[in-house]
Amino acid sequence: MNDRDAHFEKSALTCLPDVARFARSLTRSESAADDLVQETFLRAYRGYASFQPGADVRRWLFTICHHAFLRIQEREQRMVLSSDGDDAELETLGAVMGHVAAQRSGLDAYVCSIDVGPAIRDAIEQLAAPYRLAVTLVDVEGMSYDEAAQVAAVPVGTIRSRLFRARRLLQEQLFEYARDLGFTGAADTTRTTRESVSITSPRPDQ
Amino acid sequence: MTTMTRAESEPIDCRTAVQRLWDYLDGELDAVRLAEVTAHVERCAACDEHVQFARTFLTALSASRADVADATALRSRVVSALQREGFSSSWRVR
Repeated sequence: MNDRDAHFEKSALTCLPDVARFARSLTRSESAADDLVQETFLRAYRGYASFQPGADVRRWLFTICHHAFLRIQEREQRMVLSSDGDDAELETLGAVMGHVAAQRSGLDAYVCSIDVGPAIRDAIEQLAAPYRLAVTLVDVEGMSYDEAAQVAAVPVGTIRSRLFRARRLLQEQLFEYARDLGFTGAADTTRTTRESVSITSPRPDQ
Repeated sequence: MTTMTRAESEPIDCRTAVQRLWDYLDGELDAVRLAEVTAHVERCAACDEHVQFARTFLTALSASRADVADATALRSRVVSALQREGFSSSWRVR
């Protein structure tokens, strides 16, 4: 076993579970994810000479994996396009307004009291690919906005706006999940979310 | 060089504070904006509740990570493919 292969095995192959999890989030299919993981490591092995020693090997593999996924999507003509306006603050406000509405009905406390793990995994799978990618990289894999932007090959602002929209959508899905479980609060949060709430102006005590 | 301390940061209103909510929790704010949000949240119970809920939500997101059930089988498959490219491994393919 030569040094290059030994180093590849020690550094890159140990990241296989992380890459497999990331590939699963991209493809939403076990068999497609396994194909993508294999393709990722083949590309990584072929290009290992270009890897800078000391760099973040997991991020490098995620980047290769994402590029390979995009190439597959392009081949299959299934590229999901989305608009990315500079609406990150609006998405944050939307999430907070959703929380305000949930507070009124007591839904937020209920959501905090139940196991939402399965619901979150389902909700993430239902997101469109760009949003799923952003929330997976930042919230599930723990990357910074800058690191996620490098993996996704988009500007930091794009990752941020996609991430915030994904979080708002996921939060709404969680509230729906809680209602489906039988929560019988007072308010219809879908309606009240659209109402003007106290955050549109400074509180009197500020 | 003048460094703005937390005490020197400008008061912000609730709308501004919640607009920065995700950046605040993600550690993506600069020092001045971080100080402004921190100071606001400390004195505003309503915004503090939003922060606490958002923090719980992000913790749940992070905890939702589902590891691949059989990474060993997948690793064997990947190593086999790599070996066809000339890779030599100490890993015994099953």
